[in-house]
Formats: sequence, structure tokens, C-alpha cells
Amino acid sequence: MPLILNHSTAHLCTAHPPIPPRRQPSGLRHARHWALLAISCLAPCWALAQAVTSFTVVNADTGSDIATFTASTGSAAVSGTVSLASNPRINVRANASGTTRSVLFSDSSATTHTENSAPFAYKGNSGQAYRAWAPTPGTYVINATPRSGSGGTLKAGPTASLRLTLANAVPPVLADKPATRNEAARFLAQATFGPTDSDITELMRVGYAGWIAEQFNKPSSESHLQFFSDVLNANGQGNDKEVVATFWKQALHGPDQLRLRMAYALSQIFVISLRDGDVDNHDRAVAAWLDMLKAHSFGNYRSLLQSVSTNPMMGIYLSHLANQKADAATGRVPDENYAREVMQLFSIGLVELNLDGSPRKNSLGGAIETYTPSDVSELAKVFTGWSWDCPDRSNRTCFLRGDRNNPQSDMTLKPMVAYAEHHSPDAKTFLGHTIAANTDAQTGLNSALDHLARHPNVAPFISRQLIQRFVTSNPSAAYVRAVASKFNNNGAGVRGDFKAVLQEILLHPEARRTSATSGKVREPVLRLTAFMRAFAHTSKSTRYDMELTDNPANALGQAPLHAPSVFNFYRPGYVAPGINLAQGTLVAPELQIVDETSVAGYVNFMRDSISYGVGFAAGASPNRRDLTADYSAELALADNVPALVAHVTNRLAYGAFSQARLDAIGSAVSSVALPGGNATAAQVAAAKRQRVHTALLLTVAAPEFIVIK
Amino acid sequence: MTQAKIFAGAPALHHHASRRLFMRQASALSLVAGAGAPLALNLLAASSAAAQTAGDYKAVVCLFMFGGNDAFNTVLATDPASWAAYSQMRPEASIGLRRPGVLPNSSAGAGTPARLGGVLPLLPTNPQGREYALHPLLGKVQQLFNTERRLAVVANIGPLERPTSKTQYLNDLTHPKPPRLFSHNDQQSLWQTMQAEGATVGWGGRMADLIESSSGQKSAFTAVSAAGSAVWLAGKDVRQYQVSGAGPLRLGADGGGAVYGSQRVALDLNSMVSTAAGNHVFEQHMAEVARRSIKAELDLRGALPPAGDPGALQFLNPISGTLQFNALAHQLQVVARLVDAGRRGKTGTKRQVFFVSLGGFDTHSGQNQRHAELMARLDHALHYFDTALGATGARNSVTTFTASDFGRTFTSNGDGTDHGWGAHQLVMGGAVRGGDLYGTAPTLVARNQASDFNSPDQVRNGALIPTTSVDQLGATLGRWMGLSDNQLKEVFPKLAYFNQAPSQLGFMG
Repeated sequence: MPLILNHSTAHLCTAHPPIPPRRQPSGLRHARHWALLAISCLAPCWALAQAVTSFTVVNADTGSDIATFTASTGSAAVSGTVSLASNPRINVRANASGTTRSVLFSDSSATTHTENSAPFAYKGNSGQAYRAWAPTPGTYVINATPRSGSGGTLKAGPTASLRLTLANAVPPVLADKPATRNEAARFLAQATFGPTDSDITELMRVGYAGWIAEQFNKPSSESHLQFFSDVLNANGQGNDKEVVATFWKQALHGPDQLRLRMAYALSQIFVISLRDGDVDNHDRAVAAWLDMLKAHSFGNYRSLLQSVSTNPMMGIYLSHLANQKADAATGRVPDENYAREVMQLFSIGLVELNLDGSPRKNSLGGAIETYTPSDVSELAKVFTGWSWDCPDRSNRTCFLRGDRNNPQSDMTLKPMVAYAEHHSPDAKTFLGHTIAANTDAQTGLNSALDHLARHPNVAPFISRQLIQRFVTSNPSAAYVRAVASKFNNNGAGVRGDFKAVLQEILLHPEARRTSATSGKVREPVLRLTAFMRAFAHTSKSTRYDMELTDNPANALGQAPLHAPSVFNFYRPGYVAPGINLAQGTLVAPELQIVDETSVAGYVNFMRDSISYGVGFAAGASPNRRDLTADYSAELALADNVPALVAHVTNRLAYGAFSQARLDAIGSAVSSVALPGGNATAAQVAAAKRQRVHTALLLTVAAPEFIVIK
Repeated sequence: MTQAKIFAGAPALHHHASRRLFMRQASALSLVAGAGAPLALNLLAASSAAAQTAGDYKAVVCLFMFGGNDAFNTVLATDPASWAAYSQMRPEASIGLRRPGVLPNSSAGAGTPARLGGVLPLLPTNPQGREYALHPLLGKVQQLFNTERRLAVVANIGPLERPTSKTQYLNDLTHPKPPRLFSHNDQQSLWQTMQAEGATVGWGGRMADLIESSSGQKSAFTAVSAAGSAVWLAGKDVRQYQVSGAGPLRLGADGGGAVYGSQRVALDLNSMVSTAAGNHVFEQHMAEVARRSIKAELDLRGALPPAGDPGALQFLNPISGTLQFNALAHQLQVVARLVDAGRRGKTGTKRQVFFVSLGGFDTHSGQNQRHAELMARLDHALHYFDTALGATGARNSVTTFTASDFGRTFTSNGDGTDHGWGAHQLVMGGAVRGGDLYGTAPTLVARNQASDFNSPDQVRNGALIPTTSVDQLGATLGRWMGLSDNQLKEVFPKLAYFNQAPSQLGFMG
């Protein structure tokens, strides 16, 4: 039911004086912008049987009204102001009176849309759920014509017009410090592998920006390669398990959490995978790959692109290592694998983008593809002649195969080098750029990567994915634009500065906001790191003897550096079947690995991890695993169930549980009786453990923990 | 192994005959009812005592080869002209397989063409004036094609918007072409949905939608993936059930229904995981998936036959020379178990679509070894599935087809191949008119002096322009499943552009 039907007609056409946009206070980091609305009536509103009497801007995520603007009698333009700061996704409702049965909307796009039942929503609705409209800056004119019949039939009332001007994104002033520990924890869930008590305290003390600055200045934690080598030396072994171990060690205990978390995010955009047998033969070099990502986490995109493109692990994974120039005699052509994927996945993507991440449209309304098969073939020539940094560059066997007798050779740790005799001397023309014939391989590579890195797609393409890794699956256009703008220029004229990008991602007001569609599904690896950090796990062996967690039926369905393909564990644009479409299309990458099997596998894995610990067995007993938590603080609360439940849920879900849900967990915990009377101490201790385990399991299994809003 | 032969022969023919009769009755009915009629076949079945028998059960299985299978080394044209072109573009020193009849050289490196020996000749009913063979490690597939006649080849198929000539592809910018050709994720999506990545509804799921809406039989098991999320199975209404190879997994509770020794806690855990307190879309989705998981496990508990001998899931790895677990066979095992449950009326549906997959086909490098292992896995898995279905008499009820991102280049990049478009695919089942090729075999030539391929079917680097569309394959299978012409048009709206009636690829009789 539209609210306006309950309005008295006396109020329908009250004039509002235009309110000018407020001046921006200088010095505010974020500009404030305003929407201007103006309404005009073609005839006196009250004289009509069917009329659009006002427009209401609504928050499409919550359905609540933001502001209503009412046409004045006989009407000159009426303007109102709406800050879209906390409402990036809106809709506009035409409020109609009298015998209005349908409303015909039109706008400058020459498309029309008829609404047959209230609420009459400009962008459509399903019941009370408004379709989301995330407008880009500009001026919009929305016309609404009421009709007395459904489907835009029968008698028309006068057309009401709404003139809506939107300037740039609209962030409000951001509180610099979290108001509560739960607010702080939510931020740390975005920026780290999971909040800990001490991190929360520090964030409360220094504020968001201060905490980020501290993280920028923290020295890099121990190198992954060093840990891998230590384990290798001490135990004479090193395989993908040890690569995983060094990831977990640092995720759990590294003090430079933001750097590490960024490296993990980058590992899901610039993907290599230990599932590939050839990559898995070089585990030591994969540990070094993690170090490489870490070294670029607070660095620059262009440098990262260079390191990624010349890393021999990427060379193996996408097969441009030992890629050779064309040979007419054998019919051989260059391998196109890296040339294609460096464009599709690591830089520009498939279709041309606006700064806000939306696809640019051609004159027919279609997407514009960024490259052609010819661009791929030409760029492939750039990636010929690159291989291992062999001690003897004339050794063709070493060019083709490296040191076959020693896959852990130091040459696997060095960037690939150019071999002139295997590099294509042809001119290479791609994406409107030509590298002249006979340019040497290194110069050609630099030129090609420069050209890719300056493509206007890079900023929105990479920024949007990074926002998805840290904060939310569905950033507004304004959020993407803000981050992409920082990507293009950090304020000092530098392009691709990841520090500026990270600051904008984490400090943008949208990162602080919650709604029915905000945030993201925590991926399984981040669920486990959050759990293991919230309840500090230590490694008995000090080797961080973690299992691979990639089996969905008995583990997490995800393990670091074990994506099924270069397309990562999930795609940035994945839309889960059956998701509520009334809210507009919502993507949720992480839901691509959520299914009937993996939800059960996850719960069962956590059930056992809570009671036995995580990782491989630490000794003879399978019930004592290498990584375990000290639950003494929780055990001390076992006879005070509400306190125990509050403690556990705050540690893991930061206030996301309602009282009813807390009570439900409490009820389950209380069902485990604490034996009294003449029970032995061991019996009491066992019951207390069972209570603590129950509280933990119900919490980590709940949607409140799995979704970080 | 030879078990397969027991189930070939007369009973299958009898089934074919009765099925054709049934189809005629069905189409007569749909003529009377006109456009928009309910699924005639099921309507008829509902009033027929015969419908209560397992004979009415049908399933289609999509076996997706992720990465883009090199069809040129899977199904080979071996007539002299084609072979000359093949061996010129794929020299023996790189990725060229050996001609038919060449004996394996046991001293050559594992997985090399010399070690594998010659390609395996096919004996199609209608060879289209050509000769064909299979990869040397597709011995069971060869037997299914040549001897059992339960397996067919669909030649040069791929996503198409319209029939497309080489001139139209190269020079006619206005001629509609599939978007984002040669891109893995998009072509995977095109095969499954006819659209680029981002599509949310696949043609397997749409067929399931229409089957359910016509029959009024709704089941959580109409669309089942044994290989993770597959957009092919996503309908507008039908949601896929994702099962593990080992079968449904019980959430939380142990065999005694307890968590940490408490049945009460197990119940509370189920409640906590499968409800969402607020209106957050993702929380609600998580809860819904958990509800589906719990219910499906409950529904299937006790309904599936035992998994059987785990040794049967092992294939001979041609690189290591050892027996190894074949995850594709494991996926097909759970499909066979679900088919069996379905035929016994335990899953509440007589029509099912299944998805299984095998990854690793993006053979840009090391193709000889990688592709050899993949072919060995495929051969073993298809034979395993055929045998498993045969053991319960279900062969005639299940049709399996292969699909893949794209075919690959005809040229070699030294030790691998790059992304192409059209490819050959396999179709297997007791209801398949096996032992033949469907569609049109492409003309294969070597690259000429102008770096061009003077074939109407080949473009850059010798990749194929498909001459048969995925829509035609889908419609042929859809017709077999009982969809009406109008329903097929709804699922495959581009069919009208292909100058063939929907069911006329012909491999389903």
C-alpha cells in the first residue's frame, strides 16, 4: 500500500522552497553531494481524480523512505535535497491519489515502464521489495503519468515530473574511531585474518586511519621461503603441505596482518595453483611466490604485473616459460595462454569499463570487448623466449626444462630471463600499440606491460575485485569509482599505489555500512583463520602441520593456493541460483563453493576442529591435533551460560546475533548438564568442555558468523 | 570389462520399438492439446499403468571436460587427405599421434605418441566418405562405438548464434556470433546456457523446469551435480542438488544422531545452521542451502544402493603406470546410484539431469602426457558408467554426452595447443544410435604459404567453426526426454535459425 493513499488531500500540494546544495566545508576528506529534486504539476493537483501527488525516494535495500517531495499547487518547480551518503541504492516511488490504478513512467532514455499496483516504483518492485537503482552522476528526469485503468489504460491524469540531479559519490564524514569493540572487530574482519582482543584494543586506541598507518609501517613478517626452508632442513621434506603451513602460520600469527591479507587477496586475482602437478613440483618456488605477493602488497600494480609476468611459477602455470617463437618449418606458433589470461584476468578484463566498474555500451547497448583474437596472437609473441635463469644461457635443455635433476634449484626462485634466439623478432601490434620489429625481449615486455597497465580498465577492474576480497560482494558504483580514482591517482600523481587503494577500500563509508545486502559470505579459509585467531591456536610441533583443506566433503572445500584453475575458487560475477532477485542482481563469489555437500562438510570439519584441534595428529592419538586452542577462559564461564554465549559470539560474530538467537545457543548449551553431587572432577571437566564446544560449534555454524555484513 | 556384452542385444531393440510407439502417441496427444500443452509424455504416462515401471525413467548426463578438450587428438580424421594435413600441422616430434596400426614402442617415454601406438580406427555406419579413429587410450570407447554400438560422435559442434560460414565469421560484422569466443569461462557458460558468463539459467535446468511443471512432479533430485555448482543445471524454478561422489553427507550428527554425544545438541545445531534470524540475503541463502542439505540427506538415507567395489574406480595411469583413483568415475558412480534409486521410485522423479566433470584439458603445454592421462580417465569412466548402468538394466534410460569449453587449435605451439571453437563430442547410452557420426565432419587442411587455412571449416591456427550448434544437441536430447516442440523452442529459441527440425541430429533414433 502506498503511504500516500492515507494522506489527506489538504497536504498533497504543499510548496517547499528550493533548498540550495550545502557548500562543502573545505578540508573534508570526502566531498558531500546532493540530489536535487524538482516536481511540477501540469494542472492543479487537487482537481484530478487520478494524480501523482508526490515522489518519495526510498532506500532500495531496506524499503524505508528517505524523503518525500510534494508538488505545489499549480506548481513551479519544487526542489528538495537528499544525501545519498547512506543510501547508494535507491528507487523512486510515485505517490498517487484518487482512482489511480496504474502509473506510466518515462525518462530521457525513451523507455517506458508501467506499474500496475502500488507502490508505483520507477525502477520496479516485487511487493514491498524495491528494485535497486544505483545511479551514476548526472541529471535525471522522471515523468509519471497516472491512469485510471491498469496497464496504463483509461483516463490519464497530468504527468508529474521529477528532476533529479546527482553529483559524485556521497560519503558522509566517517567517525575516525570505532564506537564499540564490536564495530572495531567488524573492521578487523575486513582488514585482517580475524580480530583478536589485542588488535581490537589497538584499533580502539588509534582509530581506523591510525591503525592502517601502523600496519603500513610494520616490518614484513618472516619470509615464507625461510619458514619453508627451515622445515625442509629440519625434517628433510618440503612439499605443498609446507607451503600451506607457512601461509597458516603467518595468517594466524603474523603482526603485519593487512600486508598478509592483501597478499592473500592478490593470490586470488593473480592465480597460480598447487593443484597443477608441474607447479607442485616446485613447492619451494611457490613459497617464494607468496613472498613476492607480500612484497608487492603495499607496492605498486605495475611492479606487481612485472613480477607476476616473469615469475617462473606463473611461467609454468600459464605455460609461457620456454614459449618459443613461430617456426614455419614445423608449423609451430607461439603459446597464447599467458597473453590471453594476462589481459582477461590480470589487467583489463573482457569488456570496456567505466571508472565505476559498469560496462561501457556501444551504440546498440551492447558491451564492447577489449581485445580480439589477433590481439592475443600478437601479444603472445611478446611472451616468447622467456625461461629459467640458467647459468649457461646457451644450454637449450636448460632453457626448455630448467634443472630437471633439482626442481628446488635456486633458478626457480629467480625471475625468468630473455633468450634472444627464442624470442619472436616480429613487430607486435596489439590494443593499438606496436612494438617495433627486432625490439629486444626485455624492452618489448616492458613496453607491453606498460601499455596494459595504463589501460583505463585496470583501475575499475582490479579495484572492484579488491573491494570484493576485503569488504563487500556488491560495492556501489560510487564505491568502485572512489577506489578506482585512487588507483589512477593516489593524490600525488602516482598510478597503481596499493596503499592508497587499500585506504580507500577500508575507509570508504560504504565499508562501515550494513544493510540486507551488504558485506560478503566469508570464504571457508577466512572462517577458519577468524576462528583460530579469535581463540588463539598454537602449533605443538611449531611446524604448523596443517592438512590441505580443499575437500568439500570432509574439510573446507578451499585451501590457499589450491584454486581449481586460473579463474580462482569462484568468479567475481557469480550469481547464486535462487538468490532474492527482488533486490536487483546480487553477486556473491564465495557462494560458488557453497552447496549441499560443502555446507555439511564445513560444519563437520569445524565440529572436529573444535574438539580435537586443527591439522594433522600431533602424536599417536588422532584426537590431539597439532594446532589447538587454550579454552581455559571459556571453560571458566561454563557454569554461566549467558556469559559464555555472549563471550563466544562476540569473539566470532561481533554482535551479529539477536537476543533470540543467543538464547537458542544458550538453550543448547544448557541442555548439557553439569553433574553435581558426587561427580568426579573429570566428569565435571568433560561436561564443561562439552558446553564450550557446543557454544563454539553453534556459533561458527550459524549464518551470523558465516556472513560478514 | 566384458560384462558389458551381457546387456547388449535384443532387450534394447525391444525397448527402442516400444519407445517409438510411445513417442507417436505422445505427439498425437500434443497435437490435440495444442500449444502450451502439458508435457504430453508425462501426462500420458500418468494415466498409464506402464508409467509405474522403471521403463519410463530417463536421465541425461552432461560430462563436462573443463579447459577445452583437444578434439583433434580425441577423434581423428584418418583418410589420406586429412591425415596429411594433420601430420603436417602436428609433427610426430611434437604432439602428432601415430597413424592406425603403428605398434606401441615400449621404450619411448611415458605418454608419448610413440609409446601409445597408433590411433584406434572407428567403423561408423555412415562414414561421410571419410575415415576416423580415436586417441590410442580410448580403447573402451572404441569398443562401445564399434562393437556395442552404444556410443556415437557428434562432429564439429559448438556454440552458435546462427549457422556461420567462414566469410560471415571473418568479414560480416553484422552476422551474430557467440560473445567472447576463445575465453574459457565464457565458452563454458555458452555451452551450458547459450550466454556468456553471468547467465544464471542453463538448458539442463530449463528442461527440468518444464518437465516438472508438466508432470506436476517436483523433486529435490530432478537436477543433480556431482561436480560442484554447474549453471547447466540451474533452472528458473529447479535448483540443483550438489552431491559428493560418496553420496549425501550428513550435517553435524554422527551415525547415532548426536553431536558431542548429544542428540539434543544435534537438533539445535541443525536448527541454528538452517535458519536466518534477519533479512540479510546471504544469511538467508546460507540457511536455505543448509536446509536443502539436511533434507536431501534425510530423503536419500537408505535409498541409494551401496557404492560397490572401490577397486572399480581405479584407472591405469599411463604416465605412472599405476592404478589410481578416478574421481570422474566416482562422480558417475553416485549418478548410477541415484539413477537406480530413481528407477525404483525413491527420488520422486522420473526425469533427471546430471552433471559430472573432469578438469585439466587446457593443454597449452605438456599436452602429450596431460592429454594421455585425461583420455585414460575418460575411457575408464565412460566404461565404468556403462557397466554400472548395465548391471541394473538402466542403460536404455540414461544418455550421457560430453561437452567442453571449446576445441583447440589445429596448429601446435611446440608441446601443446591453444584455444579454439568447434569440437567433436561423444554421446553414449542404450537409447543412442551408436556406431555412427552425426553432424558434418570438417574439412581439414594444412596451413598454406599465406598462413591461411584453405578450408571452409577452419580459421585462425586451424581452429574449427562449428557446423552443428549446441542447441541442436540439446533439442535432440530434450525431445528424447519428452519435451514438446513448443517446449524445445522455449529452451532453445535459436533452433529456428538452424535448418533442421529439433530432433533431427538423429543420434537418438
